[in-house]
Amino acid sequence: MTGDGLLRPVVWVHGDCLDPGGPALAVHPGAPALWVWDDALLEHWGIGLKRIVFITECLLELPVAIRRGVVPTGVIAFAREHGADHVVTTDSPSPRFRAIVAAVETEFPVVVLPVPPFLPYAGPIDLSRFGAYWDVAKRHVFGQPPLF
Amino acid sequence: MTAPSEEFRCEFADREDLIAYLKAQFPEAAARDDRVSPIRGGRRAADAAMKRLDPVDYAASRNYLSGTVTRLSPYLRYGVVGMAELRDAILHRAGRKGVATKLLNELGWRDYFQRRYAQIGNGVWQDQGRLGTGYAPDEYGEELPEDIATGTTGLACIDAFSVQLRTIGYLHNHARLWLAAYLVHWRRVRWQTGARWFLGHLLDGDPASNNLNWQWVAGALGHRPYVFTRENLEQYIEGAYCAGCPLYGRCPFEGSHADHAARLFRPEPGLPTGGAR
Ligand SMILES: Cc1cc2nc3c(=O)[nH]c(=O)nc-3n(C[C@H](O)[C@H](O)[C@H](O)COP(=O)(O)OP(=O)(O)OC[C@H]3O[C@@H](n4cnc5c(N)ncnc54)[C@H](O)[C@@H]3O)c2cc1C
Repeated sequence: MTGDGLLRPVVWVHGDCLDPGGPALAVHPGAPALWVWDDALLEHWGIGLKRIVFITECLLELPVAIRRGVVPTGVIAFAREHGADHVVTTDSPSPRFRAIVAAVETEFPVVVLPVPPFLPYAGPIDLSRFGAYWDVAKRHVFGQPPLF
Repeated sequence: MTAPSEEFRCEFADREDLIAYLKAQFPEAAARDDRVSPIRGGRRAADAAMKRLDPVDYAASRNYLSGTVTRLSPYLRYGVVGMAELRDAILHRAGRKGVATKLLNELGWRDYFQRRYAQIGNGVWQDQGRLGTGYAPDEYGEELPEDIATGTTGLACIDAFSVQLRTIGYLHNHARLWLAAYLVHWRRVRWQTGARWFLGHLLDGDPASNNLNWQWVAGALGHRPYVFTRENLEQYIEGAYCAGCPLYGRCPFEGSHADHAARLFRPEPGLPTGGAR
């Protein structure tokens, strides 16, 4: 959804958007922002300390509160604590991301901001093989209009 | 306003302090593996890696373990650096289109796998095609062999890659290919087992790039399965492992691609195996 008429956001930061200048944080620089450690996912993927330290070092450079637990529950609680009227986040291809957004949407509107794309091209692209993808991609990746 | 739930600390005296705190907060993760990588997280560290971008050297040397690769994968993985931003930095640094092409093409693999992930979601855990090895999925072992997990196979290269994976959380692309091919083809273990092992350790571990690369090695992307030869490996490691290897001259990687295909795969007409991509 677009977020028209919504005034008080909180930002949900997840594992695909840890850039301090990334879309959600850049659009709402002063808004309260949250990271939630997804305990179930850490367990499911068998994540060790290396990755946790690396992610935390990324988080320490961001203006975020860090919590843990069930992600949508944590995001909803955070939005309530801050009297927010919507949640803003950055897009991700992960199915878990979509499930979390759907769960948060039962309580708050969620605005998902797009990530600037690698290819400035929104047309059809054949993904059956890398070669077919690259035939199209190489005509757009240099930022010039396609020749044909 | 309701009371906030418990928050993590955000101020630390130094890295040791941070590590000790996280060990205490995540005892289960630390019990699985409590090593910490020398590679630092954060935008400042990413900027330092961005400054070293060298598209010319990259194109000439990326296949060598000592080559000028970007080592940006952990930062790209978490969106610390964006794909569009990196593309622009590469084009700017390269100056000319031709110079940038190789590096942009490799980044294209990430974009390609992300797009497939957006389509198939958790399907990244399932074979995307029939395995090109002649074996059915249930003919592969489930368990990660102990000697690979602990780096005690006796093969100097494989053991070194296992140690690097677990201590650094980063492997050069070629090392990933060799380790994956060894596990899947020489030891005939399911690629999913290897993919899970990598995801627990790789700082850049992500289900799209990781699993689909494992599928590529296994021959499940409608592509011929990936195998390598000792000659092939020795060329790109520049003497790092073979010379001191107790199995030198009689290791399982001796022989040609055709020898390996004949030994490791069930004959299937029309599916020759090939070398590096
Ligand atoms: C079995 C296996 C598992 C892998 N698992 C992962 C993973 O979990 N996460 C991951 O990011 N990469 C993965 N790769 C791909 C590749 O090995 C790493 O991206 C690369 O080695 C990272 O080092 P670099 O940043 O110096 O790469 P560079 O050579 O400098 O390339 C620049 C960037 O391009 C992208 N890239 C390059 N090659 C590939 C590729 N084959 N597939 C996808 N993206 C690529 C990466 O984002 C990389 O950071 C895997 C490869 C194999 C064979």
